[in-house]
Amino acid sequence: MNQNIERSIHDLREMDALASGDSMVHRVSAGAKLLVTVVYIGTVVSFAKLNMTGLLFMVLYPVLLFTVSGIPISTCFYKLRFVLPLVLFVGVFNPFFDRTPAFAIGSFTVTTGMISMVTLMMKGVFCLMASFLLMATTRIEALCGALRKIHMPQMLVTLLLLTFRYAAVMAEEVNVMTQAYSLRAPGQKGIHYTAWGSFLGQLLLRSMDRADELYSSMLLRGYHGEFYYAETKKRSSGDTLYAAIWCAAFLAARCVNLTQVLGMTVVR
Amino acid sequence: MIRFEDVTFAYEKGKPVLSAVSFEIGKGETVGLIGANGAGKSTVMKLLLGLAGPGAGAGSGSGAGNTKNTGSGRILVEGIEVLPKNLPQIRRKLGFVLQNSDNQMFMPTVFEDMMFGLLNYGMSRMEAERRVDEVLQDLGQEKLKYLYNHKISGGEKRMAAVATVLAMDPEVLLMDEPTSALDPYNRRIIIRTIGALKQTKIITSHDLDMIYDTCGRVILLSDGKIAADGPAEDILMDKKLLEANRMELPLRFATCV
Amino acid sequence: MHMADALLAPAVAATMYVSSGTTACISVKKLTEDENTQKLPTMAVASALVFAGQMINYTIPGTGSSGHMCGGMLLSALLGPQAGFLSMICVLAIQCLFFADGGLMALGANIWNMAFYGCFAGYYLIWRPIMRSPVFGGMGAKKGQRARIILASIIGCIITLQMGAFSVVLETTLSGITELPFGAFCSLMLPIHLAIGLVEGLITAAVLTFVYETRPELIRGVDLSDEKAYSGKKSLATVIICLAIAAALVGGIFSHFASGNPDGLEWALFGNEEAGYSANMGLDEENFGVSSGVSEAAGAIQEKLSFLPDYAFADSESPMGTTVSGLVGSAMVAALALAICTAGHFFRKKTADSSLAS
Repeated sequence: MNQNIERSIHDLREMDALASGDSMVHRVSAGAKLLVTVVYIGTVVSFAKLNMTGLLFMVLYPVLLFTVSGIPISTCFYKLRFVLPLVLFVGVFNPFFDRTPAFAIGSFTVTTGMISMVTLMMKGVFCLMASFLLMATTRIEALCGALRKIHMPQMLVTLLLLTFRYAAVMAEEVNVMTQAYSLRAPGQKGIHYTAWGSFLGQLLLRSMDRADELYSSMLLRGYHGEFYYAETKKRSSGDTLYAAIWCAAFLAARCVNLTQVLGMTVVR
Repeated sequence: MIRFEDVTFAYEKGKPVLSAVSFEIGKGETVGLIGANGAGKSTVMKLLLGLAGPGAGAGSGSGAGNTKNTGSGRILVEGIEVLPKNLPQIRRKLGFVLQNSDNQMFMPTVFEDMMFGLLNYGMSRMEAERRVDEVLQDLGQEKLKYLYNHKISGGEKRMAAVATVLAMDPEVLLMDEPTSALDPYNRRIIIRTIGALKQTKIITSHDLDMIYDTCGRVILLSDGKIAADGPAEDILMDKKLLEANRMELPLRFATCV
Repeated sequence: MHMADALLAPAVAATMYVSSGTTACISVKKLTEDENTQKLPTMAVASALVFAGQMINYTIPGTGSSGHMCGGMLLSALLGPQAGFLSMICVLAIQCLFFADGGLMALGANIWNMAFYGCFAGYYLIWRPIMRSPVFGGMGAKKGQRARIILASIIGCIITLQMGAFSVVLETTLSGITELPFGAFCSLMLPIHLAIGLVEGLITAAVLTFVYETRPELIRGVDLSDEKAYSGKKSLATVIICLAIAAALVGGIFSHFASGNPDGLEWALFGNEEAGYSANMGLDEENFGVSSGVSEAAGAIQEKLSFLPDYAFADSESPMGTTVSGLVGSAMVAALALAICTAGHFFRKKTADSSLAS
C-alpha cells in the first residue's frame, strides 16, 4: 500500500520537475496555455461521435507540444496508465449496442459502434494529454496567478496554492505512518478497521495543530486577508499570438475534416 | 529592547506555565533560552509574538485553548507593550523561525514565500524581488530561489526558513530549535549563519553546544521560573546547576571532566 | 467517480461548471462575510489531509479487499458546508491537474457530483438534522451523540454518493456519449456506489467518533453543552420527508427511464444477453433517447447548440468515398506526427551536440 502513496509523491515531484524545465512552451504565459488547453479540450470533446478521421487531426497539437517542450510522451502515458482504463470503460460497450454497419474492409464489417468507441477513446486520450501538457509545462504558482487574473475568487486560489503545498507534506506524513503501521502489522494489506478512526483521526488532530501554527506564521509576516502573487512574467504579444494561432487551428479542424481534405489531395 | 516584567501566564487556570518571569535583553545581544521540555521556552516566544497571552486578541493565531488563558505582568518591545492594538507594529520588528520549517513556509516555492511578507508590508514587487535576491546572496543560497518547498532537503528547508524571515529585515530574530534534525554539516552552516547576523537574537534549543557557540548570554528556565541568567560560559559549565534542572553539560565540556 | 472529459458534451460540462462555480462564489461570499481569516489555513490543511487520506487503503473486514474515502462528508462535518465545499474543490482540482483523475473540462461536473452533494446535501439534509434530532437520546448524552455521529456519517455518505453516482449517469446520458442505456448504466453505477458509500461512511464515522472523543469542539453541530439535545424534534421529521422526496424523485426518474427502455431494464436484470439484444439494439439506435422526456429535452438543447455532436454519420451520402480519403488522410496525419517527432529529436540532438562541442 505504501507503493501507492510513494507513487503519488513521486508523481507530484515529477510534475514539478517537468514544469520547472525550460522550452519555448514553458516560456509561454500560463494564461495563454490555459486558454489554449481549455479550447482544445472543448473542441475535441465537441467532435461528432462518428467523426473519427476529423478528430484524428487534433493529435497534431499534443504531438507538436511534446516535441517542442521536450517532454517525453512515455512519461505522459506512464503517468496515465491507471486513469486510461477508466476513460475507456464507458466506450467499451458501444460495439455491442450499436451494430449498424458503416463500411467493410474485406470481409470484416466495421460497425458505427466500433467507430464511436475508437472516437471516444481518442477523445479521452487527447484530453488527458492536453491537461498533462498544461501541467507539465506550467508551474502551479504561475497557473494560480493566471486564475487570479481571470478573477477567480482570491480565497479559492489561495486555498488551491496552500492545498498544493500541504498535499505534498501530508502525503509524506501518511507515507511514514503507513510504513510504521505495516512494520508492526506484517501481512496486512491495509489499515485494519479497528484502527480506521485513530489512524486518520490522529493525523487530523495533528493537522489542525499544524494549521494553527501555519496561521501564526502567516500573521507574523503581516497577513491581513490578502495574498499577493509574485508573478515573474508579463503577458507579451507572443502569448496572444500563440493563443490566437492555436485557437484558429482548432476551430478550422472542427469545422472542416482536415484529415479528409489531406486524404483527398492524394486520392483524387 | 525586550523586557519581561513579572510575567505570569497559564493556558489553563491553576496550571501556570510561567510564574513571575522578568528579564531584559539589550540591543545586539544573542541570548540562549534553555530548559527542559515544558519549562516554558516556547511560551516565552509566543507571549512575545502575541500569539498567546495578553497580546493575543481577536483574530490571533493560537488555537482552541486561547479563551482560557490567564496572565499578568507586562511585556515590552522597545518600550511598546505587547497588546492586540500594537501587534502589527511589534511583529514588524520581530522575525520568528519556527521549529518546523514546513509550517513556516506555506507557499509553493522559496521565492514566493520570501515575497509573501514583503508584499504584505506594502513593498513594491521590484523592490521586494531585489531584497529577496540580496538576502539569498548574503546567505549564499541563490540556488534555492525557484525551488519548490516540498522538494528541498531538511537543511535547505531550514536555510530557506531563515531566509524568509531575514528578508523582512527584523530587528529581533527569534529561533525555535534552529538546529534540530540537521546533520552536522548543515548544523555548522546554521551556526555560522547565526554568528554572522547582527540582529538581536533569542534562540531556544536543547543543543547546548550550539548555544555555547552562538550565544553570549543564557537564560535557564525551569518549571516556569528563571533558574539562572548570566554569561553563557558560567551557566553552561555549571554541571550542578544544569543537572538540577534536568539538563546536561554541553558535550565538549562533558568529555573534559 | 471521477468523470473524464470524453464522457461529457461541452454544453453539459459548461452547465456543470456554471453550477459549481456559482455555488463556489456563494460559498466564498458567505465565508468572507464571516471574516474568519483563520479558517483559510485550516481549510487548506484539511483538504490536504483528505487528499492524503485518499491514498490510505482501509481493509474491509472479511472481504480482503480495501476501500478508500472521498471526504465530502468529513470536510463538511469539520469545516461546515461552505468551507468544506471549497476544500473539496481544491482536492479535486489537484487530483485533476496532477494526477489526471477526472478531466479538466469535467472538473465542474466532478465538483458537483462529489463536492456539492457531499458537502451541501450531506450537511443540510442529513448531518445537521440528525445531529439535532433526539434519536438515541435515551442512550445518555455522550453515547447518544456518538451514535448520532455514526448514523449521520453512514447515511450521509451512502446518500450523497448515490446522488453523485446518479448525477454521473445523468450527465453522461445527457451528453449522448455512450450507447449504454440509461437504466442499464444506473443499475451498474448505483449498486457499486452503495457499497462504496457504506465503506466511506464507516471510515468517516470512525474518524469523526475518534475526533469526538478527543477534541469534540472540532466537529460541527456537536452539542458541547448537552442541554438542548432534545429540542429538535421537528428536524428529524424534516429529514425523513426530504429523504422520502429525494427517493421518490430518484425512483420516479429511474423507473420512467426504465419503463421507456424495457431493453435497458432487461439488460440490467438478466445481464448482457447479446443474442436477443443486438437484434433490438443495432437496428433502432434512435429509439433510446427519443422515448423519454429528458432526452427529448436534451435533443432540443442539442439542436439549438450546434456545437454538440450530432448523431448522424458525417457525410453519410458517400460513405465509401469518405472512408477511403479518410483512411488515407489518417495515414498522412500519422506520418506528419511522426515527422514532427523525428524532427524534434533531430533538432534536440543537434543542439545537444553543438553545446557539447562548444
